[in-house]
Amino acid sequence: MSEHESVRQLLALSAAGLLDAGEERLVREHARQCARCAAKLDDYATLSAGLSALPCPLPLPDLLRRTNSLVAAEVDRRQGAAFAGAAAIFACVFVLLMGETLRMVAGNTAVLVWLAWALVSSVLGAASALMLASRRRSERSIV
Amino acid sequence: MIYQAAIDESFPVAEPPTHAARLRSGDPTALAESVGYYQHRLYRYLLRLVRDTASADDLFQQTWLHVVRQLHSYDAARSFDTWLFAIAHNAAMDLLRRRPGESLEDREFSLPERTPDALSTVLAGERAAILAAALAELPALYREALTLRFEEGMKLEEIAEVTHAPLSTVKSRVRRGLEAMKQKLCKEDIL
Repeated sequence: MSEHESVRQLLALSAAGLLDAGEERLVREHARQCARCAAKLDDYATLSAGLSALPCPLPLPDLLRRTNSLVAAEVDRRQGAAFAGAAAIFACVFVLLMGETLRMVAGNTAVLVWLAWALVSSVLGAASALMLASRRRSERSIV
Repeated sequence: MIYQAAIDESFPVAEPPTHAARLRSGDPTALAESVGYYQHRLYRYLLRLVRDTASADDLFQQTWLHVVRQLHSYDAARSFDTWLFAIAHNAAMDLLRRRPGESLEDREFSLPERTPDALSTVLAGERAAILAAALAELPALYREALTLRFEEGMKLEEIAEVTHAPLSTVKSRVRRGLEAMKQKLCKEDIL
């Protein structure tokens, strides 16, 4: 491949500023002696400048608000899930420790009553949490 | 709730988010600032890629949802710009793959010539509109390479990171994209 051919391949990248120093020097030196390549380099430079100066299309005015609402809901959901997970782990540990304490103090019958009570409370608590979460979701969808 | 309070306080925001660590910890204020700061650049990138405002709108929101979900994997030592644009790139490519008639392969191509009537309409418009129209006619991967290089001002390595492509491929896309645009604009006596 002649120097002219190889430089021709580099003209667009030179205008895009994507050549290394050696390649850039080769292009500049060749363009000084070759009018055709110099003209092409000018065209690419004009094109590159035009692309860099294209006006920025504006998003719809409420896109930022809608995106922020969506992100807020997602952050809340994730924080809520993390909190619910931590609360569930804490509740399990508490029930087991309390059961063990009751077994030592008041015997096995008291443990069974405690576990039954804990089970009923957990089921009711979980149902309430699900209802609240569902209500929050429907409120968000209206907004 | 905390997030809402944060965006009410800081919206709109036009300062660069220099709080990578806060973002990574899921700080609601940092997230709201980032959505505001990147809105124009991210929307422009998505619009250039998908070419219709409704899809760009959807992808913009999807991108930020992905950001919230993947914040734990964000390495604060890396550039937030390239991480964010890589997420947007993935979302846009998913959409373009499903779109009939949209090619996502590196291949030889030529831009269609306009009819004289269409050409005169274009010539009557602004120079920027002519360029934007020519850019929009390029295949998606070339549009993306050119918009990241010239509108986002990204370096070769950053474009490669966003598009998950080797450096040589990025160079080739920029070169072919520019060559096709130049050829087209010269044919139409615009350049």
